[in-house]
Amino acid sequence: MMHAEVFAEADKREGLPSTLRARHISKRFGGVVALDDVSIDVAAGQITGLVGDNGAGKSTLIRILSAVLDPDSGTVELDGAPVHFTSPAEARAAGIETVYQDLALAGNMPVWANIYLGRELLRGLKPLNVLDKRRMAVEAEAMLSRFSRTMPPIDAPTSQLSGGQRQAIAIARAAAWGSKVIIMDEPTAALGPAETRAVEEVIAGLRDRGFAVLIISHNLEQVFRLVDRVWVLRRGRMIGDRWLATSTPEEIVGMITGATAVVRGQGGAG
Amino acid sequence: MSATAPTLTTSVGTRAMDFLRRYGIVVVFVALLVVLTATLPQFRTAENLRNILQQNAVIGIIACAMTFAIISGGFDLSVGAGAALASVVGARLMIEAGIPLGIAGALFAGLALGLLNGFLIAYAGVNPFVATLGTATVVRGLIYVSTNATPFFGVPMSFTVVGLGRTGPLPNATWIFLAVTLTLAFVLHQTRFGHYVYAIGGNIVAAAEMGIDVRRVKLAVYALVGASAAVSGIILTGQTASGQPQAALNYELAAITAVIVGGASLGGGRGGMAGTILGVFLLGLVSNALNLYGVSAFWQPVATGTILVLAVGVDSYSRRSVFAWR
Repeated sequence: MMHAEVFAEADKREGLPSTLRARHISKRFGGVVALDDVSIDVAAGQITGLVGDNGAGKSTLIRILSAVLDPDSGTVELDGAPVHFTSPAEARAAGIETVYQDLALAGNMPVWANIYLGRELLRGLKPLNVLDKRRMAVEAEAMLSRFSRTMPPIDAPTSQLSGGQRQAIAIARAAAWGSKVIIMDEPTAALGPAETRAVEEVIAGLRDRGFAVLIISHNLEQVFRLVDRVWVLRRGRMIGDRWLATSTPEEIVGMITGATAVVRGQGGAG
Repeated sequence: MSATAPTLTTSVGTRAMDFLRRYGIVVVFVALLVVLTATLPQFRTAENLRNILQQNAVIGIIACAMTFAIISGGFDLSVGAGAALASVVGARLMIEAGIPLGIAGALFAGLALGLLNGFLIAYAGVNPFVATLGTATVVRGLIYVSTNATPFFGVPMSFTVVGLGRTGPLPNATWIFLAVTLTLAFVLHQTRFGHYVYAIGGNIVAAAEMGIDVRRVKLAVYALVGASAAVSGIILTGQTASGQPQAALNYELAAITAVIVGGASLGGGRGGMAGTILGVFLLGLVSNALNLYGVSAFWQPVATGTILVLAVGVDSYSRRSVFAWR
């Protein structure tokens, strides 16, 4: 294994700041090896894809990156400095936001309340301070309009909105709090074609704003539409990475299924 | 707005149901008020209206607190036992050690019961039904053991000012009810704690994922219910100047009925203080009307039970299609 050399070479080549890096991550559950010496880069201003078959270890990897799980070995670096988060809250405080598949929205509460859920704005003096509902509504609307072109009514309960709108709200919330890295697990899995496009636009907007975006996707068409660089996991091992501008769906499928022999990295491409 | 079409265009039936659920209570309340005013001369006397206010203060205080428990996705079946506990503990202490210590002791007893419920539900993970039915049964049993299930007297008669006295146009019990209501309405609708009660009732997983300490919120909810039940127990003591082991029997059912009639949902996440107040007085009007029409008091639980089942039925039916906030 010459990971270190390979990656150092890769970083020099691309000349981009690597916002979130994981090196030599291993994780076992009992006797099952979920991840074996896995490394990945998630760079700012790019959309990074993570693909692989069911059980390849994608979810385990993003749960380690968002500090839901502890790795058995390996390191995670944020902006070049090693980090050791003990809880998802710590990871979030450091700028790593995760959009969960269930979106973590309270359907009975209005859009603004969901965007501010757990970070409510208050006014007044300490023991008697009250919710500043008006300011939250106004600022939530501004936040949302920065990331999404279709504006749901800010006072509507999120249960009355479409799946795409709910996804956009969850993404806008993740992006709104000074975060650097946004991790998304199958962000469009439950959406129809039109809604998928709308959410992809939101995700592309994150890249344009300089966020480091990591998405898990099963949809290769989407990966080729949206993603700049894809990493392929197979049975707990990182098979390799490709810049999609110079790759083909056939090559990626081959890497996912193990049909094609793979040479790590991609030379001077990209 | 344009892209919200699919889920907002619900059927006419659903919309009617939604309207009924939101404003049906107001319509029914006003209609009942009109009918009673028109048909019963003795209904519209100041004395009768004061009676209604007086009689519903105790249940009203409990219902306001119960609103928190139901919005959070639970409920509390121990409020009747809690009020009786506060009544008995308060009366005993008033006899032995004076009124201030009696009030403090009663509040402490109710709060302790609420904290126990909250601990069982939030930290031990016991289902609210089992936890509060269990504590209610245990507490009621302990009260019977310690009092031989007989009322005891000797509370200073001056304390009846709390239960029977009047200040200005309103009974003192009603003033206390008003103060509790306004305080709890403020807490529920204006503070972060109240906001979190809605959040955990709406989606407890989301609330936890967004960093809300859901267990602490639940603990606080049941503590608040216990303390409020104690306030009701103190008023009950003030009505009879005695400790009443049998006090507040089945009040939990009346309180839950009022809250559900007021638009809250047993599934959690929905409800509000204004609705609960309307629910309390709707039940109060029905009970008053039965009285004035000369219907036997034994019919009272029949009416309450029927209203509860109807309200829950309307709620479950409408909930199939639309969730609404409040």
